[in-house]
Amino acid sequence: MKRLEVVVAGASALFIAAIPFAGSDYLVGFVFTTFLFVGMAYGWNLISGYTGYLSFGQISFFGVGAYATAILVAKLSWPWPPAVLAGMGVAAALAVPLGWAMLRLRGPYFALGMLGSVQVLQTLASAWSGLTGGGEGIYLPPAGSLRDLYFASAVLVVAGLGATSLIDRSAFGLRLRAIGEDEIAAEAMGIDTTRAKLLAFVLASTFPAVAGGLYAFRLSYVDPASAFPAAYEVQVILMAIFGGAGTVFGPLAGGILLAGLGEALWARFAELHLLLFGLIIVVVLRYMPEGLIALLRRRAA
Amino acid sequence: MTAPLLEIRDVSKSFEGLRALSHVSFDVPHDKIVSVIGPNGAGKTTLFNLITGALAPSTGDILFEGRSIRGLKPNQTAQLGIGRTFQIVRPFPGLTTLDNVAVAALVKERTRGQARKRAEEILELTRLSTFARLEARSLTLAWRKRLEVARAVALRPRLILLDEVMAGLTPAEVEDTVELVKRLRSIGIAAVAGIEHVMQAVRKISDLVVVLDFGQKLFAGAPEEVMRNPEVIRAYLGTKYAPRS
Repeated sequence: MKRLEVVVAGASALFIAAIPFAGSDYLVGFVFTTFLFVGMAYGWNLISGYTGYLSFGQISFFGVGAYATAILVAKLSWPWPPAVLAGMGVAAALAVPLGWAMLRLRGPYFALGMLGSVQVLQTLASAWSGLTGGGEGIYLPPAGSLRDLYFASAVLVVAGLGATSLIDRSAFGLRLRAIGEDEIAAEAMGIDTTRAKLLAFVLASTFPAVAGGLYAFRLSYVDPASAFPAAYEVQVILMAIFGGAGTVFGPLAGGILLAGLGEALWARFAELHLLLFGLIIVVVLRYMPEGLIALLRRRAA
Repeated sequence: MTAPLLEIRDVSKSFEGLRALSHVSFDVPHDKIVSVIGPNGAGKTTLFNLITGALAPSTGDILFEGRSIRGLKPNQTAQLGIGRTFQIVRPFPGLTTLDNVAVAALVKERTRGQARKRAEEILELTRLSTFARLEARSLTLAWRKRLEVARAVALRPRLILLDEVMAGLTPAEVEDTVELVKRLRSIGIAAVAGIEHVMQAVRKISDLVVVLDFGQKLFAGAPEEVMRNPEVIRAYLGTKYAPRS
């Protein structure tokens, strides 16, 4: 790393570490939620940003992570950190067969197939009441303070940034990009596209799973509606695209800016904030469809 | 006597009853250039798709270095040493020229750094170095076609399938491409070139010519023989121009 990068990274780390000690619970809660979104945007970016397989169903893994974590803690009395990690493992294990089936679909069919998988899982969560508590859901015993959850969410962001930056520079990343550009040509260049896509899909599933687990603790219960929040899916995709899909810093920049913008609009224009938020996104995407990072890069060049 | 590099054995392909290729057989020897010529729709691209594994033959077999490659997928034939270019070019538009080639080089190189280094050598060989940092989408058609050849070379193949690599080029560009294909032959890469119209090039590059018409092999032989063959003339120009026998 260059000296400037070290200084920026160090200052950011100090700032982030100071928030739960200096800030109000409201602020800590807000940054925590933002970090969950950024983490999910990193997950989405790994599959959709790099390979171009636009998924509208990553929230499936959020729900699976939330439920797996809740069940382990409430029914088997696991401590929360291993439960969250196990939720990540459950999501990854589900992602293997799901990706194997879904990644045969291309373009809008993949997007809709993933959307359908959310419905299937949500219905399953309602119906399988022996395991999930059905419509009533599962209540979680208080585990970990907000501060603990906050630091866990910060780890999620760092993991997203770190994994993405490693992949972006690796042979694997170049292969994913080639698939995103032209899958048939990528195959003709010797890339095992099925394997590469599946690996990206499984990696991508782990981020929303952790976010879902942490979110369940923040809410202190899980039910089918809170575990599969469709609105979050849209926000995550917007953040990744707003910042720049297929870039290392895009999800971070897009996530922080959109979350900040949403919060500021909500505080000032409680009635109109969603309308204004939507308008700003439309205008921005119209004039910089490749996202913020591409724009900054072009300015710098 | 060693086996030919590629053996097409009695290969047929039907699409829902429509015969695209019918009992086609021929060999590609090591380090030779075989041109497959024929009018539009004769089955050239279908043949390429069968060799690479993009399509499976309905009947017949294809052997590469003496082993059947039936049932292999395009990425596997590429790894074995069969490179290809596409009739309608498809470089990775948003990747730089260098990365386009590096993607293919990853088949033999372990890291991205090594692949890029190898790609630089290939850009040198194919005279694309000037464009290394440019996105492929900004290249002209002739350069994109050349980039596809470079990308195929990066696989370290024994055989390259060139689908209409001359089509749409100016005479000077055709000349350059002829030189490039000959240079590849000299470094041990055989080629099958599918060519519809550019007869000048066929004469210059081919060690052997196979003529396809409506999915059937009409004739195979040396370039001079092919040009004189009445059936070939009939297929291309109609009965009127063929010498009566």
